[in-house]
Amino acid sequence: MVTNITKTVTIYIDDVSYQVPAGANLVDAAKALGNDIPVFCYHPKMSPVGMCRMCLVELGSIEKDRATGEVVLDDKGQPKVRWFPKLQTACTTNVSDGMTVRTNTKQVDQARENVVEFLLTSHPLDCPVCDKGGECPLQNLTMEHGPGKTRMNFADKMHLDKHVPLGDLIFLDEERCIQCARCIRFQDEVAGDDVLAFHERGRSLQIITNSEPGFDSYFSGNTTDICPVGALTTADFRFGARPWELTNVPSICPQCPVGCNTSLSTRLDRDAGGRAIIKRVMPRQNEQVNEIWICDKGRFGHHFSRGADRLQIPMTGNAPASLTRALQVAADKLKAAGSDVAVIAGSSMSNEDLWALKQLANGLGSERLGAWPPTHAGADLVAQVGVGKGTNLSALGKGDAVLIIASDLEEEAPVWRLRINQARKRGAIVVVANARKTQMDEFASETATFEYGEAPKFMADIEASDLGKKLAAANNLIILTGADGLTLVESRALMQSAANFLIKTGHIGKANNGLMSAFPGSNAMGLYYMGFTPEATLDIAQKPPKVLIVAQSDLIADDPSVGEWLTKVETIISLTLFNDALAGLATVALPIQSFAERDGTFVNGERRVQRFYTAQGPIGEATPAWQVAGRIGELLGQGKVKLSAAAVMLDITKSVPAFEGARYKELAHVEPQFPMIQKDVYYGGTAYENTGGLGVQIPTAADQGETLNVGEVFVPETPKVGKGKMLIIPTQVLYNRERTFQSSELMHPRVADPYAEINSADAKRLNINNGDMVEIAIAGASAIRVRAQVDGRAPKGAVILPRHLATNAVPLTATVGSISKVGQAAVVEG
Amino acid sequence: MHILLRGRDISDIYKFDVYTANGGYEGLKKAVSMKPSEVIDLVKASNLRGRGGAGFSAGMKWSFIPQSEPIKYVAVNADESEAGTFKDREILETNPHQLIEGAMICAWAIQATAVYIYLRGEFWDVAHALDERIAEARKAGFVGDNVLGSGWNCNVYTHLGAGAYICGEESALLESLEGKLGQPRVRPPFPAQKGGGLYKEATVVNNVETLTNAPWILVNGPDEYKKIGTEQSSGNKIFCVSGHVNKPGNYELPLGTTFRELLYTHAGGIANGKQIKGILPSGGSGPIMRVNGNDDPILDTKLSYEDMAKAGTILGSASIIVMDETVDMVWVASKAIKFFKHESCGKCTPCREGTFWLDKVVDRILSGKGQESDVDLINNIAKNMSGVTLCALGDFAANPIIHTIKNFPEDFKAHVEKKEVAAEKAAPAKAAPAPRRGKEAAAQAGD
Repeated sequence: MVTNITKTVTIYIDDVSYQVPAGANLVDAAKALGNDIPVFCYHPKMSPVGMCRMCLVELGSIEKDRATGEVVLDDKGQPKVRWFPKLQTACTTNVSDGMTVRTNTKQVDQARENVVEFLLTSHPLDCPVCDKGGECPLQNLTMEHGPGKTRMNFADKMHLDKHVPLGDLIFLDEERCIQCARCIRFQDEVAGDDVLAFHERGRSLQIITNSEPGFDSYFSGNTTDICPVGALTTADFRFGARPWELTNVPSICPQCPVGCNTSLSTRLDRDAGGRAIIKRVMPRQNEQVNEIWICDKGRFGHHFSRGADRLQIPMTGNAPASLTRALQVAADKLKAAGSDVAVIAGSSMSNEDLWALKQLANGLGSERLGAWPPTHAGADLVAQVGVGKGTNLSALGKGDAVLIIASDLEEEAPVWRLRINQARKRGAIVVVANARKTQMDEFASETATFEYGEAPKFMADIEASDLGKKLAAANNLIILTGADGLTLVESRALMQSAANFLIKTGHIGKANNGLMSAFPGSNAMGLYYMGFTPEATLDIAQKPPKVLIVAQSDLIADDPSVGEWLTKVETIISLTLFNDALAGLATVALPIQSFAERDGTFVNGERRVQRFYTAQGPIGEATPAWQVAGRIGELLGQGKVKLSAAAVMLDITKSVPAFEGARYKELAHVEPQFPMIQKDVYYGGTAYENTGGLGVQIPTAADQGETLNVGEVFVPETPKVGKGKMLIIPTQVLYNRERTFQSSELMHPRVADPYAEINSADAKRLNINNGDMVEIAIAGASAIRVRAQVDGRAPKGAVILPRHLATNAVPLTATVGSISKVGQAAVVEG
Repeated sequence: MHILLRGRDISDIYKFDVYTANGGYEGLKKAVSMKPSEVIDLVKASNLRGRGGAGFSAGMKWSFIPQSEPIKYVAVNADESEAGTFKDREILETNPHQLIEGAMICAWAIQATAVYIYLRGEFWDVAHALDERIAEARKAGFVGDNVLGSGWNCNVYTHLGAGAYICGEESALLESLEGKLGQPRVRPPFPAQKGGGLYKEATVVNNVETLTNAPWILVNGPDEYKKIGTEQSSGNKIFCVSGHVNKPGNYELPLGTTFRELLYTHAGGIANGKQIKGILPSGGSGPIMRVNGNDDPILDTKLSYEDMAKAGTILGSASIIVMDETVDMVWVASKAIKFFKHESCGKCTPCREGTFWLDKVVDRILSGKGQESDVDLINNIAKNMSGVTLCALGDFAANPIIHTIKNFPEDFKAHVEKKEVAAEKAAPAKAAPAPRRGKEAAAQAGD
């Protein structure tokens, strides 16, 4: 891969000399010069294998006199070239000085034609019914290089299975497969989940999955993008639309803090009453953010945007109302409350929404802005000592280090896990520190453990340890925190200690160094910059206001304890995507638009402000949240509502210093990236090209040399667990029963049945067997019934309880409770 | 004189005591008394060439190993799978200690950390016996820790493949040895280089027969060895003779022996008083030779690397398949292409698809339904497969087509013309059976 290579060499392609980066792959180098050497198996993100033989070229090198080192000239005074006797694969060749390549000779043309002809002898040519048709490398290269006529003059070709489910999400058409192994290599080299393989040999070679369940990887969808034929298709998109009918709209994935750039392929659809709807989600190239990959949650989790449970019309007192009427009721209630109002906003709302909500609250004299869910503290520290401007996880390698602490990154931010695992493969030290065993241990170069409640202390004391010394000495160091097993107070202490360590060891204010956190949602950093904090949320719960605006936050499903204080709120104004329980409690419920229906911006975990565009048609009377807030404000005499999201952002850029330079035009700026996309030579699919913008990264306080204020670290006491009680540790799993994921029905088989992990010693003591139905009791919450999973991963004394799997809500953060087998009284310790 | 097939002279030399009583392990003792680089120089000077087929200088191969690398391996290629080759099996069964000794000499020369003997899956019984022989050698201090008190540790292990021709190709052998699917690797890096060998460590891959020569060379010296054979092809070679001869079998003779001497003096002449029509000198993979009867001067060609190249073919592993006048060369081409179709690993497009396509067209010709253009077609397909694949299997698979057409055009012509005759008399063609679906068809098609 070409990165930061400054030395260049001279090569000759078709008798023209070029300066190219030394050691570059010949296919890549030629492509950068506008010479497309055709490939099927080669992919610039993976090591070359030279299998398909499509990239054959004439290859030679300029002869030099061994004694003098001078170039040997022929009779005509031209440099003499020593040619390889046979054609060579360009993909397995790295450029060197004096390399001579011919790509336009008869011999090369013939070789390309031959390879296409060979491939087509057993390819079904069912392009008219193939999902890849229209954006298929095999189709394109056949048009460009293939023979016009077949010599495979047999009545029938070989017939193989055309619908082999490799798992629930990906189907294999064995006839179409050209055995390029891109999918196998992607899973092994890039995804780090080596779950595909070849079976048999020769023309019987077939892709198989060797995992249980089949194709068990959070990155499986990417294989359908890189498949150069229609052999791999997704259960979501197959037979859904033809590529030429699709309009690709640049977007940002709303699922997690990575902020993967996506393309929403939309079509005016009969089944949606002629509205434009998302037919598929494809990755969009942003080499600094997600390269060309996305996880399966991002790819298949888009269905909520047009779920049957979307709230389509405004409601007042549980009765349908006109938007004008609903807004007026909301305005009246707010006016009557004076300044006794507060806002709780969700972590996947756009900056524009948050800004408008803040303006509304501030206009009423309230500064009570709560962030939801209140699980991760320290966004202010990320703003100060977050990863430096220009950070690119792809640049990490030998000599660098990443510490992942209290996070199951695979479940919380999969593409970060993928990229950090790649860094480890390039030689970076990746340390995974957690109180429990997770699958992250497999992607670590070393692991460290501590007891639950001890994470802040572990981080505060790391300096003196060997591990701390090793991390301190790294050329570049990133600390990535989570809130696994932490209370909000502990989360802040962990972030502070991490920040202090980074400051002390000089790993701040420069690219590829600093603090990151696996915050919930896609815009937790935006919440911070707009003034919303999790601490304010806890304060709201402590002192409930008269009127509470709840925006895109599923309080009831997320937190069993909201019932205690929500009843004390006189009026709830709900800005919601869904007709959910909270909408039922609300005096006014206002339908808002999802990320797919309007323009907006998110700030990702690396503080990159990124823009998404309107992709699908409006749902009912839903309007953007910023407009809802703006119109209520207008009714309250706070000034005219802004006309567009761009205008709101302009306001933000003028008022929030961090957003200076993040106007829509600047966010839409694109630059050439490597590997180059253009045409369909490397890839299938057409949605990779980034025309929507690379975003703008907000500099940290450290980047700008400002004074840093980490604050005094308060390391709380480890909570005392009483007799017969256990620590209840809520955790994140990627595939769950959150409302924003429930509509993606094809994912249901992949969502685990509700479970809790407990240690075998505890299980024995409590007379619980693996698979038993257990009940978890927590003060102030309904009992949670799940299956016990006794697998030796949970530490002693802790119940690992994934959130959003069971019907009843699981606590937001670590707490104390008890566990017992259903139908059996809790064992009381003697 | 047998250097290799010493079991022919001393029937129980496979036994450790008998082997040592007859000079066994003296070569290793001598090697260990020398500097490793001196051993390499000595083997280089002997002009021992690789007996697996390529004929590359063994000493040269050993000298490519970077001495500074801490981990180095020797992989012994006992995947003997070329059609008509059965020489390594006899060595392994009747003179196994000499192979172990030869491998250890090589291991000393490159200061290897371990020797792996990769045997084809069908050699399971051979492997079990070999394990016992290795244990004997280990017990006697010739293998294992502190070999002959030198302070050098090197163990010998056997490993069974799963029965694939391609695993005789050195890089596919290494893949298989690592437990992966047997497919050739991209080179460079070559096996002898760091990054290219077993588990990415520098590795010498040598054929069984090659290494079995080493003890003799160490004991008798390179000059004695060079006295055997021709200028460029030193030493003895085991010729595996099969087909229409009276006495098929292995014959260990000096390189440079003529076909005539091999076939008539040793292999008992042509069976049933027939005339020779063709010879496959190197199993299924080498170019076939046309022989116009038993008096053809081509039978005076010397069996050496250089003379065979001059004759437009190769010596290869010297598996000599003799075919008399009754043999239909289209049938030969068909058998060969079926073999290569079955054995293609499937990695490179031209070989995977080409063997499959060729088989279909050759079958059509053989069944009398072919046309003249089909002969041009298969010739062209075969040429398009040549020289464009990762390993030589693409060329091997093309050879039987290209060279049977070139050397026996009349056989193809007969099939194509018979078709016209047959067509007149033939009953109306039956409707083709309904295509089979799925795995069943895959199994059928891939077979």
